[in-house]
Amino acid sequence: MELALKDIRSHLGKFLATIVGVAMLLAIVLVMNGIYQGNIQDGVWLIDNTASDLWVVERGRGGPFNEASRIAADSYKSIAATPGVLRASPMALYTAQRDIAGHDQQFTVIGYDIYGGAGGPGQFVAGRAIRAPHYEMVADRKLGLQLGDRVPLGGDEYRVVGLTSGAVDSGGNPLIFLSLADAQKLQFEQDNRALQAAAAANLQRLERAGYTPEQAARLLPLLAAGTSNINAVLVTLAPGADGRAVAAHIRDWLYFNVYTTNQERDLMLEGKLSRMSAVLGLFRTLLILVSIVIIALIVYVLTIEKIKSIATLKLIGAPNGLIVRLIMTQSMLLTLASFVLAYALRELIAPGFPRTLAFVAPHTAITFAVMLAGGVLASLMAVWHALRTPAQLALGG
Amino acid sequence: MVVLDHVSQTFGEGDLAVQALKPASLSIEAGELVALLGPSGSGKSTLLLAISLIQPPTTGRIVIDGQTLYDDGPTGIDIRGFRRRKIGFIFQQHNLIPFLTALENVALMLQLNGASRRESARRARDLLAYLEIGHRADSLPARLSGGEQQRVAIGRALANEPVLILADEPTAALDTERGTKVMAMLRKIARERGSVVIAVTHDHRMIEGFDTIYQLDDGRLTCAAAGEGSARRLMS
Repeated sequence: MELALKDIRSHLGKFLATIVGVAMLLAIVLVMNGIYQGNIQDGVWLIDNTASDLWVVERGRGGPFNEASRIAADSYKSIAATPGVLRASPMALYTAQRDIAGHDQQFTVIGYDIYGGAGGPGQFVAGRAIRAPHYEMVADRKLGLQLGDRVPLGGDEYRVVGLTSGAVDSGGNPLIFLSLADAQKLQFEQDNRALQAAAAANLQRLERAGYTPEQAARLLPLLAAGTSNINAVLVTLAPGADGRAVAAHIRDWLYFNVYTTNQERDLMLEGKLSRMSAVLGLFRTLLILVSIVIIALIVYVLTIEKIKSIATLKLIGAPNGLIVRLIMTQSMLLTLASFVLAYALRELIAPGFPRTLAFVAPHTAITFAVMLAGGVLASLMAVWHALRTPAQLALGG
Repeated sequence: MVVLDHVSQTFGEGDLAVQALKPASLSIEAGELVALLGPSGSGKSTLLLAISLIQPPTTGRIVIDGQTLYDDGPTGIDIRGFRRRKIGFIFQQHNLIPFLTALENVALMLQLNGASRRESARRARDLLAYLEIGHRADSLPARLSGGEQQRVAIGRALANEPVLILADEPTAALDTERGTKVMAMLRKIARERGSVVIAVTHDHRMIEGFDTIYQLDDGRLTCAAAGEGSARRLMS
């Protein structure tokens, strides 16, 4: 006779309410698992999908993702000339927030060499790659754009010629791919008033230095801020080339920082993502603990409510195993039912969730195992109380 | 069948020691009905707890159904298992498991003794019919009257065909009519099944038909009346 089920039958409302409450907490834990893995997936998507052997960035910088990096645009030519380098591709990278498709959206612009350079969009769900040197873009469909849409960015308008899916930066923001020149222009372009103010200041400085207004006006373009910087150079090694030797050469002779793809991944995981992962981990741990405490409390309360029945069972000769099984079965059923409901809730929540959720079966299995162990732990206090209950309690009035 | 030899119970130690049960001896034959009378705090329940070894005595020897359960200390017998197989309990407050139906309460005792689910259900149903409460077999205790609950409790006590039935104030929660019925039922069981029935009560009206009546006063056990008509003699 399964006493646990019979007891639950008489406390069905309390039992179901507890399941719903714990399931909601566990659903958050499961979603957080997805956010955690989604963060990692997003964080390294660009690195993994760029398919570059080496990342060359500004000297002393950890860029281009964790730290701003600016290098001269033509530096990729000297890198390309390094022995062992098959191809060196300039790349511009810029995070912006603009009104796109009727919403204020954050995104990252990737500028790449559209004539065979690395760093462009990999696979398309619609359309094609950028062919024209200007005013074409490939956007991730997360932005809500359609092929043929025209998107104003800076002072220009760009036509969507291709759509990608899942192309995101380390923060989960969608990517927009532009030609390198367009991306540079967008990144370094200043608004008219700022340009005018800078020009006026430069004119004044030149005139104070003794130049006539005509001379100063002719010199002014030479003082204008350059827009020919890039953020990184992507290096593809020649077959059989020693990556370490190439990296050492670029580092020592060209004075750049060089990272392999794995090092870039490590920088990302240990830098930008580590704190978020730690916060998520902390919250997951706390929520699991709260769930276990709730289960422990409800199992304890259910046990206290039937403590006289437990004393009666002892008195009529029921073995301790029966009493332990009664309590533990209830705890396990609470845990299992809560987890199943939490899993269903997660499946409901996931499609409309605003961030990338990546569910990994082993993580779900580990959460399940932790909860099962927690369920056992949760019942220990009640078991301890039940086993200490004297049989003569049944004889009391 | 049941032998108590100088069984005593002392609580506390040294100057604080209280002898709740002074050395008591008695011998009860199969089918005998024994009533333990006495006021509150006289040691009735202490003796019941000692006999069933729920609270083992301080000294003495207890033999039930030929097995020495206690001889100035445990004898190594699995007491809980012995209770399960050989002793039936009837409580003042019935003590039915509230989340089990009447049938399940009785069947539980059979299943604890190894009966299959089907067999235990069949025998539990027979027992409830014998106790004239078969029609309430599927009711939860909360839906039964006090008398009905007590009959289910008797059914549970009888389920393992015990050699000894210990009843602690079995009629205290019942009115006189229902209490008399329950006592009559215990008499019937003792006669028909040959079980020893030891009933604790402080209600003299309920001991009609009992074979031996013991009186407990301040922990001292004395035989108040024995033999046929003992209750009437004691009452008079």
